[in-house]
Amino acid sequence: MTQILKLNNVKKYYGDSKGLITKAVNGISFEIEDQEFVAIMGSSGSGKTTLLNCIATIDKVTSGSITIGDKDITSLKENEIADFRRKELGFIFQDFNLLDTLTNEENIALSLIINKEKTDQIDVLVSDLAKKLGIETILKKFPYEISGGQKQRVASARALINNPKIILADEPTGALDSKSARMLLETMATMNKELQSTILMVTHDSFSASFCKRVLFLKDGKIFTEIYRGEKSRKEFFNEILDVLTLLGGDVDLVK
Amino acid sequence: MLNKLAIKNAYRSIKDYAIYLITVTLSFSFLFAFNLIGYSEDVLNLSSTMVNFKYSMYVVNSIIIFVICFLINYTTKFIFKKRSKELGTYMMLGIKKKKITSLITKENLLLGFTSLFLAIPLGYLFSIVMSYIMMNIFELPKLIKISFTTDAFIITFLYFFIIYIIVLFLLCRRFKKMKIHDLLYYERKNEKKNKDKSILSTIVFLISLALGIFALILFDKQFISIGKEPSMSQIFLCILALIISIYGIMITISGFALNFVLKHKKLKYKKENLFLVRMFSSKVRSMSFTLGTLSVLITLSLIALNISSLFKGMFEYQISQNAPYDISINLENMDELPKYINKIEEFYSIKEKFIHHTYYDSYNNIRNGILNDYYSWHQKDLVIKLSDYNKLMDLKNESRLNLQEDEFLINCSKEACEKIEESNIKEFKTKTGKSLKVKDITNEGFDRNIVGFSYFSVLPDQYVEELMANTILTVNTKEKTSELFADQLISINSKDNCHQENNMYICYSMSNIVVKGKEEVTNKSFMTITSFICFYIALIFTAVVGTILAIQSLSESCEYKYRYTVLKRLGYNNTDCYKLIRKQLLYFFIFPVMIPIIVSFSSLKSMNNLFQIALTTSNEYLSYFMINLFFFLSIYILYLIATYFGYKKNIEE
Repeated sequence: MTQILKLNNVKKYYGDSKGLITKAVNGISFEIEDQEFVAIMGSSGSGKTTLLNCIATIDKVTSGSITIGDKDITSLKENEIADFRRKELGFIFQDFNLLDTLTNEENIALSLIINKEKTDQIDVLVSDLAKKLGIETILKKFPYEISGGQKQRVASARALINNPKIILADEPTGALDSKSARMLLETMATMNKELQSTILMVTHDSFSASFCKRVLFLKDGKIFTEIYRGEKSRKEFFNEILDVLTLLGGDVDLVK
Repeated sequence: MLNKLAIKNAYRSIKDYAIYLITVTLSFSFLFAFNLIGYSEDVLNLSSTMVNFKYSMYVVNSIIIFVICFLINYTTKFIFKKRSKELGTYMMLGIKKKKITSLITKENLLLGFTSLFLAIPLGYLFSIVMSYIMMNIFELPKLIKISFTTDAFIITFLYFFIIYIIVLFLLCRRFKKMKIHDLLYYERKNEKKNKDKSILSTIVFLISLALGIFALILFDKQFISIGKEPSMSQIFLCILALIISIYGIMITISGFALNFVLKHKKLKYKKENLFLVRMFSSKVRSMSFTLGTLSVLITLSLIALNISSLFKGMFEYQISQNAPYDISINLENMDELPKYINKIEEFYSIKEKFIHHTYYDSYNNIRNGILNDYYSWHQKDLVIKLSDYNKLMDLKNESRLNLQEDEFLINCSKEACEKIEESNIKEFKTKTGKSLKVKDITNEGFDRNIVGFSYFSVLPDQYVEELMANTILTVNTKEKTSELFADQLISINSKDNCHQENNMYICYSMSNIVVKGKEEVTNKSFMTITSFICFYIALIFTAVVGTILAIQSLSESCEYKYRYTVLKRLGYNNTDCYKLIRKQLLYFFIFPVMIPIIVSFSSLKSMNNLFQIALTTSNEYLSYFMINLFFFLSIYILYLIATYFGYKKNIEE
């Protein structure tokens, strides 16, 4: 299998005016292979969102390197970053970030338009993907006319439509009820399994993490441990995740 | 306690209030400045017709109050929307509605008084700058001094109270009708489903369009030619129909544009079209009535500017016709010459001086040719030598006239020219029996008036008879001539024409002495004031429109910042985003200007039918239109640029 993402000793420090340094990410290295579905877990303040932002090129690393495909994204210039994001990355956010003036269909198409896809191809690609993700009935509606779970599936379709190298999801179930969350996670699992997409998800919810193939645990800006699902059932994997979280300490009681 | 809380809260959202404060302060300073100029002694003393001016001030003022009311109400609504959540929270905590209402009232009054307080000195400053600008644009002969008048002060105060009573009444009524839920979710008000009403909106659009065209045609019919009085009631009907039509078109057109783009795939998916059109139509839909009002205001300002230009043009043409030279004197005999020259040299240094004669045409070629004996009261037609004519042209820095041996030229006033052309005069018979062909009929400004004739002919020197009619002295001075000097000149000729009044030596104009300075003063006051009022209205309306568009865009930039965050995550870089913002703002600003450009052009063209007789050329209005549009757009674009930078700053934060 080919390697999609490689982090090599990534550090991200913040300094304040008094000279105090916060080590949000403190020397993290890992790799993600093609078609993997990986979750990053950890308590609040463990550095998971900072890490994701660094991978998403939204934040700059202090030191270390991040390679996506064959490109070291830490050395990209401002203009190249936008191009890179457009072509290689897909995003799913906690608060959906759909544009309320566009229909769902148009929200998905927006990504293709920005990538200068041929105009006669756009509708075909959108309806094709919508069918696969089971959202074809809501395409003509506006985001404010559908539920949160549906919104997030539209957002997933938007992230996926460009065939990015990797999809980055930041607490995608954070704003959803448990039923919607389950549906979304199943959609994401489908994306991973049947559409061969690679997904990296940040979450503090072990239920969400149990849908993944691998879970990385962060603590104080470092990798604490990682576990693989392997042939285990989702339920067994879920219990295993809970065990690790107990070991981690901190806000386990926050975990569902 | 609640008061304290509210003040603290207001302090924290100072940025939003700054917009409010600036808007209201600017509005009141405009109003105050306008009244200061309108009620200043110097303006009222410009001429005796200025009493009417005072009444027209009331009319103009009431229009401006209406507009300012609209503006302040809009801004208040904007602030209310910002604070709706806070007010809703107060209600949820159990504070009575009545108490909150009084809180809002107090707060708005406090802000209102603050801006009024700031507006007084600012308005004074405005009035000085404004009158200075006007003076330069209209070349007023003397400087108008603006002084603090109690009248202007009291009137501005009165208007302040009228405006605030209306605005607060509307605000409280709006608040009373609202439930907690409405307040807490006021920001989502626009997010209701817009049902597809395309058939209805198509019908409304077509009706509005037809109504607008009808109004413009009816308006055009009012100004067919001179002599036919335009009917005021029909003009009002046109204005009413136009306003309804503008609203109708503005409300329905966004749906039209949207459907058009959505139906055409190529267009829809081209670059950022989809984003722009959706953004645009949602914005237009939620503020269509406001945009309609803005469009009406822009139409009015452009028309006001055009009327201002027409009057200014009329004035300039009149001066060029009546007083093409600094000084022209019809001498009774050559002995008078030295005393006039001495008087002129006493005041000014002479740049050019020329004496020529006019001669009689014993055959009365022109008069006999004109149908209906129109000019039968003329004793004898006048002719002038080509060489003299050309010398006079030189004095005006205009190109010389070339006449063949057998040609002549007729110079006439516009009215006389019409008669001459109607009568088809082509020939001039000289005393020697030679027949000359007409080369041209022109109405170049000339001292026709000073010889008391509406027309004269220019002949090659050899054909001019030796029967002398007048001797005319033409002088150009280095300095500008004044009214005072003109009176001195008149008193040489006839002391009876002058008398002492309130320490001023006043003389009535005499037909045989024309001084540019005096002509300007007598003609100027009425036209200047009309121009001035129109110009001022245009300026205020433009400012109001610019302010509302800016406020709307800036509030939107705060509210929908996430849109740009999303676009950035999807791969837009900063340059792309800025380009998008520029396009978006440009469309938004251009949209309400489109109809006004068409309407103002059409109405100006109609009015030109009536005015062209008093303008240099019949196509002069085209240049007025372009200049006024340019003037309007340059102010408008300043607002656009300022909005763009504000928008950019808000997005970057």
